[in-house]
Amino acid sequence: MKKHSSNLASKSAALLLSMVVGLVAWAGSANPAQAADQVTLLETGSTLLYPLFNLWVPDYTRANPGVRITTQGTGSGTGIAQAVSGVAQIGASDAYMSDEQMKQNPDIMNIPLAISAQTINYNIPGLNRVHLRLNGPVLAGIYSGAIQYWDNAKIKALNEHLKLPHKKIIPVHRTDGSGDTFIFSQYLSFSTPSWNDSTGYGTTISWPAVQGGIGALGNPGMVQASQTNLYSIAYIGVSFHAQIESAGLGTAVLENRAGRFVLPTPRTVTAAAHELLSKTPTDERLSLIFAPGAESYPIINYEYAIVSKRQASPEVAAAMRKFMLWAIDLKGGNSAHYLNEVRFIPLPSSVSELSRKQIVQIQ
Amino acid sequence: MRVRPIRIFVILVASLIPITLAAIFIFLTLYSWPAIQFNGVHFLFGRIWDLGNLYRNPVMVHGTSVPRGANYGILVFIVGTLATSFIALLLSLPISLLVAMFLAEGVPEQFRPALSLVVELLASVPSVVYGLWGYAVLIPFVANFLGPALASVAGFIPFFSGPVGSGYGLLTASLVLAIMTVPIITSTVYSGLIRVPREIKEATFALGATRFEVVRKVMLPSVRKNVIGAVILGLGRALGETMAVLMVSGGALNYLPGTIYSPITTMAAFIVSQLDSALQDPTGMAVHSLAEIALVLLMIAVLVNIVARALTGGQGHIAYG
Repeated sequence: MKKHSSNLASKSAALLLSMVVGLVAWAGSANPAQAADQVTLLETGSTLLYPLFNLWVPDYTRANPGVRITTQGTGSGTGIAQAVSGVAQIGASDAYMSDEQMKQNPDIMNIPLAISAQTINYNIPGLNRVHLRLNGPVLAGIYSGAIQYWDNAKIKALNEHLKLPHKKIIPVHRTDGSGDTFIFSQYLSFSTPSWNDSTGYGTTISWPAVQGGIGALGNPGMVQASQTNLYSIAYIGVSFHAQIESAGLGTAVLENRAGRFVLPTPRTVTAAAHELLSKTPTDERLSLIFAPGAESYPIINYEYAIVSKRQASPEVAAAMRKFMLWAIDLKGGNSAHYLNEVRFIPLPSSVSELSRKQIVQIQ
Repeated sequence: MRVRPIRIFVILVASLIPITLAAIFIFLTLYSWPAIQFNGVHFLFGRIWDLGNLYRNPVMVHGTSVPRGANYGILVFIVGTLATSFIALLLSLPISLLVAMFLAEGVPEQFRPALSLVVELLASVPSVVYGLWGYAVLIPFVANFLGPALASVAGFIPFFSGPVGSGYGLLTASLVLAIMTVPIITSTVYSGLIRVPREIKEATFALGATRFEVVRKVMLPSVRKNVIGAVILGLGRALGETMAVLMVSGGALNYLPGTIYSPITTMAAFIVSQLDSALQDPTGMAVHSLAEIALVLLMIAVLVNIVARALTGGQGHIAYG
């Protein structure tokens, strides 16, 4: 034992020494002039926005070597909390902050960077290639346990031409606090009064007890859970479309406020966004769920950067203004080159202008 | 008498441990105090956990500002925590005893260090690795093979009858915890077994006992305290395990497990999965209630240790290698 420990001690000493040598070498090699005036920004939050930030940041920092941006996918709630506490400069969130939160934190702004959508996916052998028709009340019935089998009369009524199996539905929901849960439960709340009264909406909701229903962690967990469980149904952010396709899941056609059934496509998402453009207030906290209009896809949302008006130094504030203005620019971060990759759509010009007015307030 | 500085230093350092425990306890109590007052005893027996509507203005309930519809009950999580840990130990204890007996007596002496090293390595595998393995391998295995097999063999007992479900749930979580606790229990029992004096073993052999009889009738009884200590160590790990359980438990909310295949949630896993949302509660009651869960979990862990000390005759002595 003794021999062993002295051996360990000499090994760890050698390891420590090599780390110190490496550190010194690294410090020496870094350009001192550049390190002195480099600004570091921390972005954290929404896992839905995370893929987009990872597309943006390498390109942006290559063109702007004076700024370093660290990205983290931690969940919208963490994004909001860390932006409020000042740990992170940019908190990414799929959900806007509540009135009460705004009252407590008057310096915090909710700035849309792009528009996202959510798909309802299912795994029914033989039916994953056709688009099942679903609506808010049926989804509310499934997630509250009132509708238990795929051949329930209410699902049949929407899909008369399909042969639905008599199999138990496995509803999958998120266990972590999630902007996806927020917008999905808003769709149920806005379309189904009974859901609104009993459960309501939020980033975590008190899911009704459905025997056999399962919880999954993050969007990747939702894809995995619905892939491995036949006859399951799940709500998944559109930026995971590639994983959804490779998992072979079906995508539902959803009923919108006008009573039409629509697929999530750039056209229907844009149509829904345009319906609500004029309603967007100057602080840009607005739900885009269940928009009116014949072509509108019902589950879309602004993807927010939660930022404080007051930053630690003028240099940090300047770097943030520059980066965020680039992010909402149609020639910069809002170009099709980036957004098509995650199936987001760019901000319409009037909303982009509102975001710009908020961004320039960062001091 | 002259007190040497080193003595004062050692006393100070040593007292850090009880001070830390007391500090954690006091912090949790203070931090969760608003929740303790608001929730009352209902907290322990309520089945519904509802953060309330965080997007409407809070309401005043008994002079406290809380989100509309907020209701915090953790019976489901207490049951989930105790059930997974209990089933896990039920599975891992016999396996661990057999492995420890085999390592101590059934293996030629020159192979022993290598094999016990493997067991200790298993104990040091980070729990998230077990979780990932459970998620990728165990869940489909339970859903497609183990669950249906168990339901058809033991289905006449209500707790084991189908439907088997998705593989996420009590059975899978217990299996993962069992696998995580086997190396801990094994190495603790093993280190006791190899220290049974050679003279006693030889004397028993001289009386004509077989090797198995020596292990079972002489060695195992003499390490009874090690076994109890090992179980407590394993239980401690199982009760507090977070990530691995979170990944395979299915995150049940608002209902108790009906069968061994039901999704469940444990207290530790629930705290992690809910913190994100709780932070959005402007009244702070959700975070205070999560702290109250942590307080209850801490008290369960302390209680388990007190019981262990009572069982081992007040010594609480756990032998390590």
